[in-house]
Amino acid sequence: MNSKDIIKLNNEMREQLSPENKEIYEDMLVYIRLNSNKSEQQTEELLYELLEHILQGQKIGKTPKDIFGDDLRKYCDEIIDEIPGEVKSTKLIFGSYIIIYYLGVTSTMYGVLGYALYHLFSIGTNTFTFSLGSGIVTIIIELLILYVFLTSVFKWLKNSVLKEKKINKWVEFIQIWVICMVFIGIIILIPIIMPSFGTEITIPIVLFAFTGVILFFVAYLLNKKYRITK
Amino acid sequence: MSRRSQLLKGVLEGCILAIINQQPTYGYELSVKLLEFGLSDVSEGSIYPILLRLQKEELIKGTMQKSEFGPKRKYYHLTDLGQEALAEFTHQWNSIKTPVDSILTKGGEKE
Repeated sequence: MNSKDIIKLNNEMREQLSPENKEIYEDMLVYIRLNSNKSEQQTEELLYELLEHILQGQKIGKTPKDIFGDDLRKYCDEIIDEIPGEVKSTKLIFGSYIIIYYLGVTSTMYGVLGYALYHLFSIGTNTFTFSLGSGIVTIIIELLILYVFLTSVFKWLKNSVLKEKKINKWVEFIQIWVICMVFIGIIILIPIIMPSFGTEITIPIVLFAFTGVILFFVAYLLNKKYRITK
Repeated sequence: MSRRSQLLKGVLEGCILAIINQQPTYGYELSVKLLEFGLSDVSEGSIYPILLRLQKEELIKGTMQKSEFGPKRKYYHLTDLGQEALAEFTHQWNSIKTPVDSILTKGGEKE
């Protein structure tokens, strides 16, 4: 059984939990799932087992704390320690998927916006000139920042669950808002401050949109073949 | 890690191997069986880290299977390596069980 099928099963079964148990279980689920370098298959099989155990306990009036001990965070840490790491090839496919998808989004947006601005409002130019060297360096740096962004969001999310004291929703919102703003700011800033070097190339802006669509299609095929998100 | 839980962990591993050896077992069922045997001092959840470790060490293997009643479950069975480990545990346990028992009951004094 593939991990995506187990996730589906988990989603259905979870509805049988009482509201209190559901809240606790979903916290545990987020906390355990957000460890990106752990085997997804093993993680999902385990989460499914924990769910069944809570459901069975629920029938005889046991709470998750009766089953897993009072310190759920500590219990989850203990479990995460024992989950084997993800297979290298799976990591590689997932990484490529994220990169291709990200480049697809950026390139399509850039192409469509640039094209629309020029043809509808006569703003900007119909072509785009960039230097090959700085272009490549910019893309690499942006991908690295994307990586840092995703890991920090994961860390932040992981830290926000399984707390004895609930934090104010507004404080949480502002924290994640700041993380996102800093990310977007840096992403926009880098191409601006990057000095240009390498061969200059001029291409019609609409080519960006084409490239983007092709990248999307590649990402779609990858996803279909390896079941990355569904 | 306290001394108590270290001892318990090793013993629990052996017991889990022995129960799975009887017949393929899933997580919740395993915890019920341990309780029925009187191991009520162990928190139920402590079997899952152990099951994960035993899988990593390839002593047991889990497969998602349809159960007769109810939903799909992950059933564990022993591998050949697991059989060996169980035999070794049984042997070691048998060789220390009686001496440890008599030391504890007689306070270490020889008759």
